[in-house]
Amino acid sequence: MKIDIPFLKHIAELSRIKLTEKELEKFTPQMKTILDSADELQEVNVDGKQAMKKHVPFSTLREDEAGETLTQEEVLKNANYKELGLVKIYGKVFGDIKES
Amino acid sequence: MQSNKYDLIVGLEIHIQTKTKSKMFCSCPTGYFQQEPNTHVCPVCLGLPGALPVPNKRALELCILMGLATECSISNEIYFDRKHYFYPDLPKGYQISQYKRPICSDGMIKLSNSTVEIERIHQEEDVAKSTHHVEPGTGLNYSLIDYNKSGVPLIEIVTKPCIRSAKEAKEYATRIRQIARYLDISDADMEKGQMRCEPNISIQEKGKWEYKDGMIKPIGDYKLNAKVEVKNIGSITAVEKSIEYEFNRLVEAVENKEEVIQQTRGWNADRGITEFQRSKETADDYRYMAEPDIPVIDISKEDIERISKELVELPSEKVERYTKEYDLSDYDAEVLSSEKEVAEFYDRLVEELHGEINNLAVSAKLASNCITGTVFAWLNEKGLSISEASIDIDDLVQWSLALNSNEITKNKAEELLKESLEQGKDLSDLLDQFREKAKKSSGNIEDIVKDVVTQNQNAVEDYKAGKKASLSFLIGQVMQETQGTADPNEARSILIEELEK
Repeated sequence: MKIDIPFLKHIAELSRIKLTEKELEKFTPQMKTILDSADELQEVNVDGKQAMKKHVPFSTLREDEAGETLTQEEVLKNANYKELGLVKIYGKVFGDIKES
Repeated sequence: MQSNKYDLIVGLEIHIQTKTKSKMFCSCPTGYFQQEPNTHVCPVCLGLPGALPVPNKRALELCILMGLATECSISNEIYFDRKHYFYPDLPKGYQISQYKRPICSDGMIKLSNSTVEIERIHQEEDVAKSTHHVEPGTGLNYSLIDYNKSGVPLIEIVTKPCIRSAKEAKEYATRIRQIARYLDISDADMEKGQMRCEPNISIQEKGKWEYKDGMIKPIGDYKLNAKVEVKNIGSITAVEKSIEYEFNRLVEAVENKEEVIQQTRGWNADRGITEFQRSKETADDYRYMAEPDIPVIDISKEDIERISKELVELPSEKVERYTKEYDLSDYDAEVLSSEKEVAEFYDRLVEELHGEINNLAVSAKLASNCITGTVFAWLNEKGLSISEASIDIDDLVQWSLALNSNEITKNKAEELLKESLEQGKDLSDLLDQFREKAKKSSGNIEDIVKDVVTQNQNAVEDYKAGKKASLSFLIGQVMQETQGTADPNEARSILIEELEK
């Protein structure tokens, strides 16, 4: 994977984060170091090895029964802003970041 | 919507909320419609740290059922994946979905003139409901979030890019909705957001592309135009309209040498146009990864067999039976099978009539005439469904039999049925009253004819002078005098006899 400034800029856009040119220059080599270290895993030979994942039979799945919920008050407890029982989030959802 | 230069290419993604009591990965109740916001929520569907998803068996059964109904192959293992994106309606920062291994794949649906190939049907979870506003005073943009919808089971049905017209897309969406309703997988009410259609649309120059291995491929050095996804479609009609609009828009854009980028647009039903929303994220951008919190679920043959017992005769199969075995017109067959409860009502009526008159085609035709005529007209007018109207099937049997044996004329029969529906009167009582009157007047129909002849001398003279239309008028007078109980054929022959004297 090529880690360069346009790549990091794209990741920032997907994350809805605005980075300055200076920040992009600073973070790009840092990101590269992190991903390179993760790349070391690629060297392990996994030929013929099965993914380590538990299997459960369909019949043991949760039955469809409705249970307890939180109260509206509890749900909104951690929200910085709220209005009429709804969580309020500032910022424009569409169009605030123009993707390159 | 036609062009000599370009072909329309559409693939449809349909999301359907399936009908379960609890959410996909937690036990929160799903019945959130018109409920207080943020009251059907728990740590799992709120994405709180440490909360773990537990898959709902029924939801997966409904997903498999949809696959079986559309002739998909069903995977023997269920894998879930995380699809990441940042949006306030997605509290975890990812949606639990299925990426490379959907539960159902390679299905199809037959339409009137074509077959739509279904690429996949996979299980995922719905997101929260968000609405967007501008704050008065500050002018700041903000969103309001209700997490009640977050985590409701959602299946996504994806076709191959094999749809070639807006009309075909509409027919396909209608069929999917019918199947979901027939199998009680979902009410699939688009206005309530229980079903959402998202067409992927592109236009390509005629002769410059081919459809191969389920994909659109360029021929030679032709460069394919990008596709556009349309969201916010609130009705089946809007599926057709938005595709038509987008086709024309794309043709104009390409003709004007504008660059068409891959993008998501929103359908604005009020203005009848699509509007740019965002450039579409590609699969890589979603950073799919295997969901580590849910084990692989093994499905056995016995599981599939058990689920397939829920399959019922589907609308397309009913249409085929109605046209082939019952000899109904395509139109009547479509109308009678479009809703499950109407089709069931019709099937019962045919069965009862068949028991009485021992002729299937006649029974089918009588039942069809009965339902598609007066009953439908009245239901439409009142905005009722057939079950809400509580129509007695035995009464309709008696009514149809009276009509079939020419005991009652068509007009009079329709009149009684209408009276019964509108005034809530018992149809069998009305029929009895009719028979009483018929009995009384049958003895003296000759007297009535004589009276009519005496009282309408002008018409009689016209008739004798060769004006045959006067005969119809005179028959009408007889029918009126007998309050419709006379057999018009009988009245006619007696009248002619009297006139020829």
